[in-house]
Amino acid sequence: MSRPAATYRVPPTPPHVRRGRVLAVSLAVLALALLVVVLATMNLPTWERVRSGLTRTLPPLWRGFTHPDWEVFPFAFRAMLETLFMAVLGTLLGGVLAFGLSFLAARNLLGGTAQAAPGKALLVAIRTFPEILLAIIFVAAAGPGPTAGIMAMGIHSIGFLGKIFSDVIEGIDQGPMEAIRAAGGNGVHVFLYAVVPQVLPEFASNVLYRFEINLRAATILGLVGAGGIGGPLIQRLQFRRWDDISTFLIVIVGFIVVVDFLSSTIRRRLV
Amino acid sequence: MAPDATPAAIPRPPLVGRLRGLFSLAVVAGIVVLAFRQTGFDIAALFTGAADFWRFFGRLVPPPSEIGSNWGTYLPQLAKPLIETLQIAYVGTFFGTLLALPLIFLASANTALDPVSMWVARVLLTVLRSIPDLLWAAILVPILVVGPLPGAVALTMFSIGVLAKLGSETVEAIDPGPLEALRAAGAGRLATIVYAVVPQVAATMVSYVLYVFEINVRASVIIGYVGAGGIGFTLQNRLNFFDYTGVGLIIVVIFAVVLVIDGLSVWARSRLI
Repeated sequence: MSRPAATYRVPPTPPHVRRGRVLAVSLAVLALALLVVVLATMNLPTWERVRSGLTRTLPPLWRGFTHPDWEVFPFAFRAMLETLFMAVLGTLLGGVLAFGLSFLAARNLLGGTAQAAPGKALLVAIRTFPEILLAIIFVAAAGPGPTAGIMAMGIHSIGFLGKIFSDVIEGIDQGPMEAIRAAGGNGVHVFLYAVVPQVLPEFASNVLYRFEINLRAATILGLVGAGGIGGPLIQRLQFRRWDDISTFLIVIVGFIVVVDFLSSTIRRRLV
Repeated sequence: MAPDATPAAIPRPPLVGRLRGLFSLAVVAGIVVLAFRQTGFDIAALFTGAADFWRFFGRLVPPPSEIGSNWGTYLPQLAKPLIETLQIAYVGTFFGTLLALPLIFLASANTALDPVSMWVARVLLTVLRSIPDLLWAAILVPILVVGPLPGAVALTMFSIGVLAKLGSETVEAIDPGPLEALRAAGAGRLATIVYAVVPQVAATMVSYVLYVFEINVRASVIIGYVGAGGIGFTLQNRLNFFDYTGVGLIIVVIFAVVLVIDGLSVWARSRLI
C-alpha cells in the first residue's frame, strides 16, 4: 500500500522563541569574546614551560597514583578522623550560635521586616566572608591548630544555618502557638511545645547538611595551618610524595562519600 | 466546675519514640565528647590566655592618622592581583561549563546512553566534587607551574563536578512529555536533547552557571595562598612579612569583591527564574 508523500509545513518559529535564541547566541558570543580577552591578558606560562614541567612531574605522579603507599594509610585515616571531629565541633559551634541569631532574624517573632533587617544583614555578611580567609585570620591570631579551623567553620556556618533557621521559623504554623496561649501557656511553654517541635526536624536536617559541607571544608583547612588532614597533605605536596598523596586522596574521598551517604540517609528519615 | 479542677493527665509520648530520641541524643553527645578530646578544642583559651588573639585584630588597621597614606599607596598595588583573581574565576567557570555539558546528559537517567557510561560519569563527578577547589589547586601547582594556570584548571575541575551534579538533577526532573514525543517521531539523540531538554533547563542552567561563578570567585581569592595566582598570593606574602595593615586591607578588598559579585549574581539570577 502506497500513498503520496504528504508535505507538511513546519510552522514559523514563534517570536518569543526567536528572541530567546538571539539572546542566547549573543550571550555565547559575548562570553567567548570575554574569554579571548581574558586569556590574552592573563599571565600564562609559555607552552614550553608547561610541557617541560609536565614531562618532569607526570611520570612520578603516574607511578605514585598507581602505587598508593598503604604504609601511611593508618596515619592518613587518623588525620581524617581528626578532620571529621573538627567538622563535628565546627558544625556544633555554628549550630548553637546560629540558633540564637536566627530568632533575631525572624520576621514573625520580631514583629516586622524592619526589625529583622539588621539580623538578616549580619547573616549575609557572615555568609559572604570566605571561610578559608577566616581560617587564615584565626591561624595568624591564635596560632596554628584545630582550634583555628573549628572557629572558622563555626563562624562561617552561622551565616548558612542562621538563614535556614530563620526561614524555618518564619514558616511555622501559628495554630499550635495560639492553642497553647489560649490554654494558658506562657512564652516558655509556647516556645517548648509549639515552636521547637515544629522546627526541630528541619533544624536537625540542615545541621547534618552543613556537616557534610564542613567535612569537605575541614579537609582543606590544614592547607593554611588550621588543623586536620590538610596539614600533612600539603607537606607531602611540597615534597611531591605522590604515593603518599594518592593514599591521602583515597582516604579523603572515601570518608566524604561514606559520610554523605550516611547523612543523606538520616536526613531522608528526618523530614 | 471549680476553676482549680485538676487537669486530666497529659498522655506521655510512646516509650519507643522516647527511647529512640534518648538513644540518638546519647550517640550525638558521645561523638561530641570524643571530638573535644581528639581535637583539643579550647574556645576558652581565646578569651583567657591569649590577649594576643584580640590584639591581632587591632594591628590589622593602621593608626587613624596614617590610614589615608597607608591605604592610598597600597590599594593601587592590589589592582593587578585582583584582576588576575577574576580572570582565574572566569576561565574556570567557562571551561567548567563547557566540559560539564556533555557530562550532564551522560549522567542523567533519562538522557544517558547506557547504564555503564551513566555510572562511570556519576562516579567521575562524585570524585571531582569530593576534592575541594583549594585542594585541586594545591595538587595542580607542582604540576602546572606556579601562577594562574593551575588555579584556572583547579576551578575548572571543581566546577565540572558541581555544575554537572546540579544540571543532571535538573535534567532528570524535566517533563518527560516532549522527550517521548520527539523519540516517538524518530528524532535522533542530539535533536531530542536540543529540542526537548535544553528549552526546559536553559534558564535554570544559566542560573547555576552564575552560582558556580560566585563559588569560583570565592575560591579564586584564596587559591593564591597555595601558589595558584591571584590576590591570595599577595595575602600570603604580606602575612609572611608580618605586614598586618596590608593584610587588613586585603581582607577588606576581598570581602568587598565577593560581596559585589554575589550581589550582582543574585540579582541576575532572580531575574532569570
